[in-house]
Amino acid sequence: MELLKVVNLKKVFPKTKEPAVNGVDFSILKGEVLGLVGESGCGKSTLAKCMLRLINAQEGNILYKDRDLLKILPKDMHRMRKDLQIIFQDPYTSLDPRMRIGDILEEVFIIHHSFLRGRRKVKVIEILEMVGLGETYLKRLPSELSGGERQRVGIARSLATDPEFIICDEPISSLDISVQAQILNLLMDLQKRKNLTYLFISHDLGVIASICDRVIVMQAGNFVERGLCEDIFRKPKHDYTKNLLKSSSLLS
Amino acid sequence: MVLEIKGLRVRYGVGEVVRGLDLEIAKGECVGLVGESGCGKTTVGLSITRLIPERKGTISSGRILLEGQDLLTLDHESLRKVRGKKVSYVFQEPSSSLNPVFTIYEQLKEALPGRGATDDDAVISDLLKSVGLAKIAGKKNIYPHELSGGMQQRVMIAMAIVPRPDLLVLDEPTTALDVTVQNQILDLIMELKNKIGLSVLFISHDLRTIFRLADRVAVMYAGRIIEEGPRKRIVAQPGHPYTVGLIDSIPSFEHRKKRFDAIEGRAPLFSDLPQGCKFHPRCKFKIDKCVHAEPELEELSDGHVSRCIRAKGLIANGAIKGS
Ligand SMILES: Nc1ncnc2c1ncn2[C@@H]1O[C@H](COP(=O)(O)OP(=O)(O)OP(=O)(O)O)[C@@H](O)[C@H]1O
Ligand SMILES: Nc1ncnc2c1ncn2[C@@H]1O[C@H](COP(=O)(O)OP(=O)(O)OP(=O)(O)O)[C@@H](O)[C@H]1O
Ligand SMILES: [Mg+2]
Ligand SMILES: [Mg+2]
Repeated sequence: MELLKVVNLKKVFPKTKEPAVNGVDFSILKGEVLGLVGESGCGKSTLAKCMLRLINAQEGNILYKDRDLLKILPKDMHRMRKDLQIIFQDPYTSLDPRMRIGDILEEVFIIHHSFLRGRRKVKVIEILEMVGLGETYLKRLPSELSGGERQRVGIARSLATDPEFIICDEPISSLDISVQAQILNLLMDLQKRKNLTYLFISHDLGVIASICDRVIVMQAGNFVERGLCEDIFRKPKHDYTKNLLKSSSLLS
Repeated sequence: MVLEIKGLRVRYGVGEVVRGLDLEIAKGECVGLVGESGCGKTTVGLSITRLIPERKGTISSGRILLEGQDLLTLDHESLRKVRGKKVSYVFQEPSSSLNPVFTIYEQLKEALPGRGATDDDAVISDLLKSVGLAKIAGKKNIYPHELSGGMQQRVMIAMAIVPRPDLLVLDEPTTALDVTVQNQILDLIMELKNKIGLSVLFISHDLRTIFRLADRVAVMYAGRIIEEGPRKRIVAQPGHPYTVGLIDSIPSFEHRKKRFDAIEGRAPLFSDLPQGCKFHPRCKFKIDKCVHAEPELEELSDGHVSRCIRAKGLIANGAIKGS
């Protein structure tokens, strides 16, 4: 079943001529892990933010449950955010520096009326534990965490709404291999248990290869290749993909 | 030695997070510092020029010598001259250190050593090209928020190498970059190392990049170094069960849709460190003795040390080996 369908999505930033996202089409199936790869600056984060209307696209449709996300009212979009989440690439700017970690997470529950007050605290600790942090982090400010700890708070915050779709924008880039593995295992467990759907953006082809069903390869705002993960990694067609694979250790 | 860190201890509210650390970097050498999230890597890097936020943490003891000069006893004025000039940084989160109200061009120009020369524009343009940003090389009106994460990271790298420092501290400098660009950056740093004798402290969680660039590798766990040695030695024969675990968790296509081989358990909290070897609760080679006293660094071979009392035996019987 198709969960989300993107049609002719286009974004041109002011001051620039070439579109950052140049009229792309794709759909994501329910329960699928779709990978998005491409060199730095090719438009991955822009595409992600347009999909959830965090920035405005100029053209296109994003169909989700018979509605066009780009056309619905802001207050309806706000409600959708519970189901459609994003883990931001930059944890530093996405966490309010004045709020304590416990409050950042509890606020998510309050906004989405998720639990009664008494349950909230327990749930906050539970979700911190899931990302390998825990009760001792409740009272800390974002500036009092290491880079990888901040990134995991970002992940916890996205999981807190119990979404059905998550855009993961370089979600594990600041995590060491062992914590990376814990987080990937967690994301894959949730995917199996709750049939979650992910759009997974990463520059790490090893990770993409190990978790994705399908992959899209992006270059300068366009999709240049897409297909099943096995096919793309075994027999890349486009020169750009070949280069990408060649410079990583996967083919060597 | 360009840099000598001796007996460094740093304390935050949560406890002591750097618990007596020694590290040396020679001229033209790159030392890779690797370890689990939260083990204290960034704190070590920040300590070098006393950048630990004052109200949050303190360097409680130790010495940090930059070309023989102790930076921990320096007055603020002299320290400011060291920062950015002799020691420059690429911080872990680029957006936190680029100034949002100035253009990239303005910020690079500010960092140029002999500012005001007529060829400034050409120098800046070349610099941006060398980090793969030809796209914005001639443009003067670009602000940090108009760049992607990986582009910001590369601007930071350009800004850090411009003053020709003696020591470059790179804290996770290529996390947001794909392999192609990553290789380009690593080549650039390698070139500066060989050409002008730049010394580098390369902090990263990514063993693959560390193994590409570093001459020596230091593995950190719970605030201390638990293994250190020449890169080639460590790749061929790691000397600590934790290092072996790190190497084994590198994902590859063969892992497809299987569970990732994480090291079981999680890093201990600084507020509640275990007795003895700090890794013992997660170590499959643990024996009674590991629980009692924290091991000292023991030499395995020339310049290769490990903080594991069983290292020699485990290596001898093939229980821990390289990949
Ligand atoms: N707010 C903005 N204003 C103007 N241009 C922007 C803005 N945000 C991004 N861009 C430009 O759009 C292009 C795509 O940026 P985007 O952040 O989507 O790249 P990305 O693929 O996510 O890269 P990375 O892997 O480095 O994160 C880049 O050329 C960038 O400079
Ligand atoms: N300002 C602070 N106040 C209190 N605790 C802090 C502060 N900054 C860092 N810490 C704690 O100190 C420890 C070491 O942090 P540090 O940033 O050095 O880790 P790191 O090894 O760089 O981790 P990462 O790979 O996640 O960036 C962490 O457990 C962190 O929670
Ligand atoms: Mg991005
Ligand atoms: Mg760090």
